[in-house]
Amino acid sequence: MSLSIYNARLLDPATGLDTVGAIFVDRGRIKDIAEGQTGPHPDAKASIDANGLCLAPGLVDLRVKTGEPGFEQKETLATASRSALAGGITSFVVMPDTKPVIDDVALVRFIAERARASGGARIYPAGALTTGLKGEAMAEIGLMAEAGAIAFTNGDCPVANASLLKRAMSYAANLGATIMSRPDERALAGSGAMNAGALAARMGLSGIPVEAEWIGAMRDTALAEATGCTLILDQVSTARTAGIAAEARDRGAKVLTTAAAHSFFFNERDVGDYLTYCKVNPPFRDEDTRQGLIEALKRGEIDAVVSAHDPQPPEEKRLPFGEAAFGAAGLETVLPAMLSLVHDGPLSLLEALAPVTCRPAAMLGLPQGRLAVNAPADVILFDPGKPWLCEREHLRSRSTNSPFDGRRLQGRVLRTFVAGEEVFTHESIA
Amino acid sequence: MTRAAYHYSFDHEHLLSIEGLSPLDITHILDLADQYAEATRAGRRPDPILTGKTVVNLFFENSTRTMSSFEIAARRLGADVVSMPVAASSVKKGETLIDTAMTLNAMRPDALIVRHSASGGPKLLSRKVDCAVINAGDGTHQHPTQGLLDTLTIRRTKGRIEGLKVVICGDIAHSRVARSTTQALHLMGAEVHLCAPRTLLPSGTETWGAASATTDFNKALKGADVVMMLRLQLERMDGAFLPSRREYFHFFGLTAERLALANPDAIVMHPGPMNRGIEIESAIADGDRSVITEQVEMGVAVREAVLHLLAGSRA
Repeated sequence: MSLSIYNARLLDPATGLDTVGAIFVDRGRIKDIAEGQTGPHPDAKASIDANGLCLAPGLVDLRVKTGEPGFEQKETLATASRSALAGGITSFVVMPDTKPVIDDVALVRFIAERARASGGARIYPAGALTTGLKGEAMAEIGLMAEAGAIAFTNGDCPVANASLLKRAMSYAANLGATIMSRPDERALAGSGAMNAGALAARMGLSGIPVEAEWIGAMRDTALAEATGCTLILDQVSTARTAGIAAEARDRGAKVLTTAAAHSFFFNERDVGDYLTYCKVNPPFRDEDTRQGLIEALKRGEIDAVVSAHDPQPPEEKRLPFGEAAFGAAGLETVLPAMLSLVHDGPLSLLEALAPVTCRPAAMLGLPQGRLAVNAPADVILFDPGKPWLCEREHLRSRSTNSPFDGRRLQGRVLRTFVAGEEVFTHESIA
Repeated sequence: MTRAAYHYSFDHEHLLSIEGLSPLDITHILDLADQYAEATRAGRRPDPILTGKTVVNLFFENSTRTMSSFEIAARRLGADVVSMPVAASSVKKGETLIDTAMTLNAMRPDALIVRHSASGGPKLLSRKVDCAVINAGDGTHQHPTQGLLDTLTIRRTKGRIEGLKVVICGDIAHSRVARSTTQALHLMGAEVHLCAPRTLLPSGTETWGAASATTDFNKALKGADVVMMLRLQLERMDGAFLPSRREYFHFFGLTAERLALANPDAIVMHPGPMNRGIEIESAIADGDRSVITEQVEMGVAVREAVLHLLAGSRA
C-alpha cells in the first residue's frame, strides 16, 4: 500500500537534508522525497499530516541483548522489538550471549526465524566468534555468515587469547566478515563494579580502570591492523579509546568504534547510593571523561552510538552493588539521550542522528538508515522537544532496569514505520 | 531567639555511615556513650530502655567480636536479642539479601544490625525494612560504630580530639575502619594521616578528610599523638599486593624504635584482630601505651548509645 507523510521536517543525516517536505512510500520503500511539499502525494492511498514533526530514518542499533533463547524472563525478541520500536529503533543487532550461545548455523537460523515471527523491527543476529564464547576455539564464522550472521563477536567476554583472536580476525578478514570486540583487558578490570577512582575507593567498591579499556583497544586494533580485519570496537567509554582507533584508521586499518548512548548522559556520580541500575560495563566514567567522549563524538571519532540494551530482571539487580549484574535497558532512551546533546548544545540535530542511523547502517552494509529513493521505508516521526518523565513501569521492555528511571527527558518518538507499515504509535496520538 | 530554639535532636533513622553525621551528632553519641561506659565501670545497670524491643544481629560475614559487642550492648539495655550468623546458611541457597531482610522485617524487629561482605549491603537493606538499620561493617566501605568507638577512646584518653595528629597505618585500600575512623576524626577536628604501601593506598583519601596519604611511615609518625595500626589480611602480603610479610614488617611494622618517633605520650590503637609480629610487635600491643582493650570496652558503650538513639526513641 502506498503512503504519503507530508508537512514534516525531513532529516537525513546521510545527505545533510533538513527541510520541510514529504515522502512517498510504496511497497515498503521510499519512492519519492519531495522537498517543500506540505500536502499529500497525489498517488498515495493513505496520507499522514506530520504537522511539522521531525521525520528521520529509523534508528539502527548495533548492540542489543535479549534473553532469547534461554533467558526469556529477561527479554524475548518480541518484547525487545516492541521496546525498540517505541524508541524509534527499526533495526537492531542481537548479541550471541544467550543460552545456548549463537555459535552455529542452526542457531543463527533460529534467531532469524524467531525475529521474523516476532514482527516489527528488523533483527540481525551476530554470531559468536568462538564456540560457546569460551575463547578457546573459532566458531564456524563462514557458515554462520552464509546463514545471515551480520557480524561476529565474543559479546561480553572478550577473547583473552591474543593468538586465537588474531587467527579469528585473519580468517574473518578473508571472508569479509566484521568482528565486533569489547576492548577490555580482563586481568585489569578484574571484579570491578564501577569506574575506578576516588569515588569508588570512598564507596568501598572495586574499580574498572580506564587502562583496562585502553590496553584492550590497543591490542585489538594492533591485531586488526595486522590482519586487515574490519573491527568494531564495541562500546568505548573514553575519548582516548576512540583516539586509538582513529590513529589506526589513519594508518589504513579498518577500525570503527561504537559508544553506548548512556555513556554520554551519566557520570560515575549517578551511581549515587549504590544504584544498581547504574551498574554497566563499561562503567559510567568521571565527568571529564564523559565530556571528552562527547567531544570525540562531535569530532566524528565515534562511528555509531548503540543502546547497549541489556535487560536484567529485579533478581539480578536488587542485590548489593558489587553482586548485581551489569547492564541497562536502553532501547527506549537512545533518542532522548542523543537529543540531550542537542538541547545542551554540543551537537546539531543531524550530528546527533548520524551515529544512530546512517553510520551504523553503513558499517554493516545495510541499505536503511537514510532517507533515499528506494531505501527501505523505515522511518520515525518524532518531536525533539517533547518533555516526558521516564518511569520504568512504562517502559515496554520485559526488564525495566533503566538508569533513566525517574529522569526528565526531552524528545519522544510518536510514530514508527518499518517498510512503510506503522508499527508503533505513541498513546498521545493513537 | 532564645536558647531553647536551638534544641538538638538526633535526627537519623539508621546508622549506615559516618558520612551524613554532623560533629554535633558525633558529640551527642560520644557523650551518651561516655555515660554508659561510666555506668558499667561503676557497676550500675543502665535504665532498661529497650525492654520489650527486639534487636536482630544479622551477620552475613563471620565476626564473633563485633557480634558479641552488639549483643552485650543490646542486652544491657534490656532488649531481646536474636543473633543470626547467616554467613553459611540461607544466602548460599540463592535467597537474596533483600529476601532475608523482608522475612526478618515481617517479624517486626526494632533494630537490625547488619554486617555484609558487599559495600552498600546495609544501605540496600535499609530501603526495604521499617526498622532502624545499624551497619556493623559492609565490605570495604564503612564500619561506623568502629569509627565512633575509636573517636571515643581517643577523646577519653587524650581529653580532646581537636588538633591531635593521628596516624593510621595498614591496608587503607581494603579497610572500612580506615574510612569510618578517618571521617569521624576529621569531623571532630583531628588531623588524620594515612600510611600504607603504594598498592594499598587508594586515591582520593582527601575526600574522606585525610590530611595526607603517605608511604613513609617513619616520617608520618613524627609528632603523632595517636598511632592506629590496621590489620593486614595475610593473603594480601604474599606477593599480590606486597612482596612478603617480612618486607611489610620492615617498612610498616610498629616497633618500639618506630614508636619513639611519635610524641612521648602517643597512644597505640588497633581495631583487632591483630597479627602480632606482622603489623605490630607484641610488646607494643601489650604495652602501657596501648589502648586496644579500652577500644573493645568503648565498643560496647558506643553501641549502647547508638541503640539507645535509634531503637529507644521509637514508639
